[in-house]
Amino acid sequence: MSRFEAKKPSLCKTEPLTSERVRSTLSVLKGILASCYGPSGRLKQLHNGLGGSVCTTSQSSALLRNLSVTHPVLKVLTASVQNHVSCFSDCGLFTAILCCNLIENTQRIGLTPMKVMKLNKDLLSFCTSYLKSEACSCRIPVDFSSTHILLGLVRSILTSKPACMLTRKETDHISALILKSFLLTIPESAEDRIVLGKSIIVSLKGQRVTDSTILPGLLIEMSEIQLRRLLPTRKSSALKVALFCVSLSGDFSNAGEGTVVVPYQVSLENAVLEQLLNLGRQLVSDHVDLVLCQKVMHPSLKQFFIEHHVIAIDRAGVTLMEPLSKMTGATPIGSLDTIASTAYGSVKDLHSARFGSKHFFHLIPHEATVCSLLLCSRNDTAWEELKLACQTALHVLQLTIKEPWVLLGGGCTETHLAAHIRHKVHNKADDIVKEDGYSQAELLIAAEAFCSALESVAGSLEHDGGEILIDMKYGHFWSGQAASASVVSWPDMLSRCGCGLYNSQEGLSWSFLRSTYHPFAPQACLSQAAVDSASNLIVDCFTAKLSGLQVAVETANLILDLSYVIEDKN
Amino acid sequence: MASGDTTVTSVSAGAGRVPMPRRAQRLHFRLPPRLFRPRPPAVRLRRRGRLDPESMASPGSVTAALRVAEVLEAIANRCVGPEGGLVLCTKPTGEVLLSRDGGRLLEALHLEHPLARMIVACVSSHLKKTGDGAKTFVIFLCHLLRGLHAIREKDPFTSENIQTHERHWKNCSQWKSVSQALLTFQTQILDRIVDQYLSRHYLSVFSSSAKGRTLRRRSLESLLEAYFCGRVGRNNCRFISQLMCDYVFKCMACESGVEVFELMDSCFFELNVGVSGLPVSASRIVDGLVLHRDFSVYCPADGDIRMVMVTEALQPLFSSSKSEFMLNSEAQFQASQCWIVERTEAVMKHLQSQNIKLLLSSVKQPDLVVYCARLHSISVVECLSAEEVSLIQRITGLPPCVLPRVTSQGEILHTTSVKFCKPLILRSKRYVHLGLMSTRVFIPHCMILCGPVPGLVQQHESALHGAFKMLRHSFTDLDLNYIIQTEDQCDSSPLASNSSRDSHHLPEIGKYQDITVKNKNKSESTQTYLRVYSNLVASDTELEMPVPWSAQKETPIDASLTGDIRKCLSPERNWIIEGCELSIENNSTGHPTAEDTRTEISYENVQVISNPGKGYTLPVIYKSLEACTSRGYCSSTIPAGCVLPVGGHFEILLHCCLLNYAKQCRQSAEATVGTLIANALLGIPKILCKPQKGKVSFSHTYLRSLHALQTGQPVVSGQSGLEPVAGKYQLLTSVLQCLVKILTIDLIINIKRQPHKTSDEDSEDEL
Repeated sequence: MSRFEAKKPSLCKTEPLTSERVRSTLSVLKGILASCYGPSGRLKQLHNGLGGSVCTTSQSSALLRNLSVTHPVLKVLTASVQNHVSCFSDCGLFTAILCCNLIENTQRIGLTPMKVMKLNKDLLSFCTSYLKSEACSCRIPVDFSSTHILLGLVRSILTSKPACMLTRKETDHISALILKSFLLTIPESAEDRIVLGKSIIVSLKGQRVTDSTILPGLLIEMSEIQLRRLLPTRKSSALKVALFCVSLSGDFSNAGEGTVVVPYQVSLENAVLEQLLNLGRQLVSDHVDLVLCQKVMHPSLKQFFIEHHVIAIDRAGVTLMEPLSKMTGATPIGSLDTIASTAYGSVKDLHSARFGSKHFFHLIPHEATVCSLLLCSRNDTAWEELKLACQTALHVLQLTIKEPWVLLGGGCTETHLAAHIRHKVHNKADDIVKEDGYSQAELLIAAEAFCSALESVAGSLEHDGGEILIDMKYGHFWSGQAASASVVSWPDMLSRCGCGLYNSQEGLSWSFLRSTYHPFAPQACLSQAAVDSASNLIVDCFTAKLSGLQVAVETANLILDLSYVIEDKN
Repeated sequence: MASGDTTVTSVSAGAGRVPMPRRAQRLHFRLPPRLFRPRPPAVRLRRRGRLDPESMASPGSVTAALRVAEVLEAIANRCVGPEGGLVLCTKPTGEVLLSRDGGRLLEALHLEHPLARMIVACVSSHLKKTGDGAKTFVIFLCHLLRGLHAIREKDPFTSENIQTHERHWKNCSQWKSVSQALLTFQTQILDRIVDQYLSRHYLSVFSSSAKGRTLRRRSLESLLEAYFCGRVGRNNCRFISQLMCDYVFKCMACESGVEVFELMDSCFFELNVGVSGLPVSASRIVDGLVLHRDFSVYCPADGDIRMVMVTEALQPLFSSSKSEFMLNSEAQFQASQCWIVERTEAVMKHLQSQNIKLLLSSVKQPDLVVYCARLHSISVVECLSAEEVSLIQRITGLPPCVLPRVTSQGEILHTTSVKFCKPLILRSKRYVHLGLMSTRVFIPHCMILCGPVPGLVQQHESALHGAFKMLRHSFTDLDLNYIIQTEDQCDSSPLASNSSRDSHHLPEIGKYQDITVKNKNKSESTQTYLRVYSNLVASDTELEMPVPWSAQKETPIDASLTGDIRKCLSPERNWIIEGCELSIENNSTGHPTAEDTRTEISYENVQVISNPGKGYTLPVIYKSLEACTSRGYCSSTIPAGCVLPVGGHFEILLHCCLLNYAKQCRQSAEATVGTLIANALLGIPKILCKPQKGKVSFSHTYLRSLHALQTGQPVVSGQSGLEPVAGKYQLLTSVLQCLVKILTIDLIINIKRQPHKTSDEDSEDEL
């Protein structure tokens, strides 16, 4: 029994957001996150001061996992961002920064929390309905017949993770590999319900990034000696595979709850071994070429297989079972006695492969929906970062299949959305206010806070003290070097907007993002020609960003709603 | 109290150790002021204990309880009602939890003061019953204590020259008698007041028709909206209440099937899935049942999918429990292994031949069974919890299959069809999604609750669970038992003879009393009991008729009875009541009037019944007839589904009733208690209406309710919500019982926990 101990009373605080300490910790957290944002974001080095591994990153998932926040309010914020990232992999920093901005801005405007929450909710619904509508001009439909947009999506993800330390050429190489491996997981014969395959990332550290490659099928790592012993002969035709999920070590598990009495002279070990060898004989007579076992195989049985030129691999582990079964078409066998002929699968070929210092056993399937992505990087931290980025990119591509749209990246969606909301609120305030219980002035104030929160997310992309601007036609985001005097020719200073869709020579006019500009209606429809002509388009995942926007506003509302914090001091 | 920190600490926990901002205002509710020390008081207490054992004990008085309750009230005030905020609780594990649930809030405080702990225990036992009202509990209790305190201040008997101790004991004996009076009031008088005065103002969520009662959607919506207003964050309450309303109506097989609430409450955790990381708006309702686990084997199947449920491993084992298995040779071992495999295969083959495509198991099946199932394309779900098994049983009426039945070659009896069975992927976690076909009143649906943080999902889960509890409670009749005034008492208390009248008719009452007394004299002296039902009076015209007296228990005349039934009843009544011809005739003539004046005012789709008790008091009659065989006792009910508009109307109405009662009361104790409760009741609407102005301000609400009371009209409210009467009334009785408990305590004795060293810090401090 545990020791009896009186529970300490909890600490109860009212109105947590009004305290100066919470505000300052919130702004510190925002500072950390905002400085990581975007391709030119600053890297953070995380270590615990007692040795151990050092993590260099600018990704929200790695950052928030290692950062321990103590204040309960911040815990809510980080937990909600982490949950978002685990659902969508992308747009974590966007969500976190927007949420911090919203809290800061809405506190400043001095409306009651009740009103602010209601207004924020309404403004969010304007945003989501606009982003989902056909008229939305920051949303591009994905054309799956060309790789243009998909490559742009993957490249945007890779470039926004500067801790991967990739050069431009390396980025192109890895983006192509990721897209290729994703395309390999899509089954060729599409039925009514598509089940995607799996791409497994295999680490290979110490090689050049450009040595990374993609292989159809599975790689099982093993030592050189094992490999040499396993591959004595080569067959040209397809290989028959038996996949066992049951242990082949000869253990006796189904004894039941009662007692089993075994006389001295009866040797169960022999009996079981005999049974195993019978199984082996059956496999050999069925012309099985490759036996894979999730668990342990009895050494005698292994020896038996080697003698009969059957390749036997044990301890495959439970994680490999599903891709193995999917790739070979074999049913995992759970019996030692009879094996139905339908349970066998087959592979096209197998090789031994050597990459760097590692040796692999390479299974090549007939039809590849399982592939292995060999990812190389020079050092551990960059590899970890690159692996995370690759997983994010693969996940985002999967999400894009479900909702085939992308949003303009590089801050353009945020500024465009802000311009749209400003315009809507200014021109249609009467209609909006008519329905709900707040005044027009309150709506304008809250909309200003909301839009400036969105804009300052875009502004966080600029870290080098440059000027950030918005054009008055499309509402896109532009950044350029800091101008010494106000008399500069903006078209010459700026080259392309944040997403790369428009260039500065189109006769646009600009306004500083941090100053107030007159509300204007951003141009509604997006020309397909502009999309096709833009070479390096920066785009974001639609699903992840939309959900990130919703989560950010909901979390901000949640935090604004708090009237007590009760800390358990036990 | 408006800003700054409220530290709830207690005697033995070091308040001084808690790091606090300097400027923060603190509120300690430690009882004797001399025990307050900035240093850890636990140490002080112990040292003092050795010298002076008296200091370990502190008097339990109203003052002490009031201090405790005031601190709790200050916390509850900020969270109560639609304007209240959220509370963020951290657990020692670092988890964060969001809540507006008063019960959870009080528990999270880990209060150490014994009185506070007692209050918390009372609150949680109340919550278990009704699922609602924790914050109101605290506020109401605090107001009651405040009222008692004020009475004591005025009390001339507490003279200052008496020794402190003596005075304390004297106080205690007084409190003891007060608590006695409270208890008597609660058990004997309150029920009657509620039944006789308040019942006419009830609204019902049911619409009664020829087919029986049906639940109205709009009524349920307003009921739930009012509930969630106080339980979930302000920006989500509408969404969640809509979700739950949809859910209830999707699950109900027929509109009158309120039995489903019992199932929804008891199987709540099996009927919802929480997903964190998605916006709240992604929450939805899915058809069928979602099991919180993945398939062990999934074989896609369409068409007629049959399902069996087993509770044991399908593979025969070597030995069962309490038996011995002799293995005599190796060959025998191998043969038995073979037999086991064959047997398992045979079972699977048999299942397949019966067109069974899905096997649910409450235990983990051996690898062999899973393999065989895969070969015979049977999907397998293993390790179902006992609750899931019982839920599936309740939905489909399918008992678990036992092994011998399966192995016999005949047809398997206990199978059922499912519409579909497929994996459901939520946030990259796989669930089993079953389209069960219902044979009972419950059509299976599952709620998928999403939220950005797990704490919020949990909050919504617990709020929904509470809402089901609340619905379950408010859709069952709440029994009211009270003693009916006997004849000789009827003069002493005007209530009995006047119960049919509103307070503004008071001047007339004396006159009618005279008449009734005359009537009584004329009739035989066997008349012993008076029974008056408020629902006899439907309009002012009816007030003219004399109050009927009867020798036996009088059947209340229910205006909603159809003509046929009344005809059936009338002769009986004539037979029962001899010598009261006049009054009965009066009654019968009164009936058409009642029919005529019966108007059904539609108040936001709520069927308002101007003549109270109509429609739903029908069962009450028979109940009271049965129960009234014992002399003097009467049973009645607050009928299922009775509601009042939200925003303190219940409290104001009851306040007025109690005040009227107290005015007419001759016994001073009863009058005092009545006034005390009446005044304390007003505290709740005052707090609810505090931030409001205009039409929903407190004075407006109060006047509106008063008007309703005087005219006998239903309460019209500026707000759209409804709240159940049964729950409100239960709350009132729970608070009174809690108060009685507090008052009976005279001394709190702190016992040193000798055998248990609490913590190292304490021992260090002692050195």
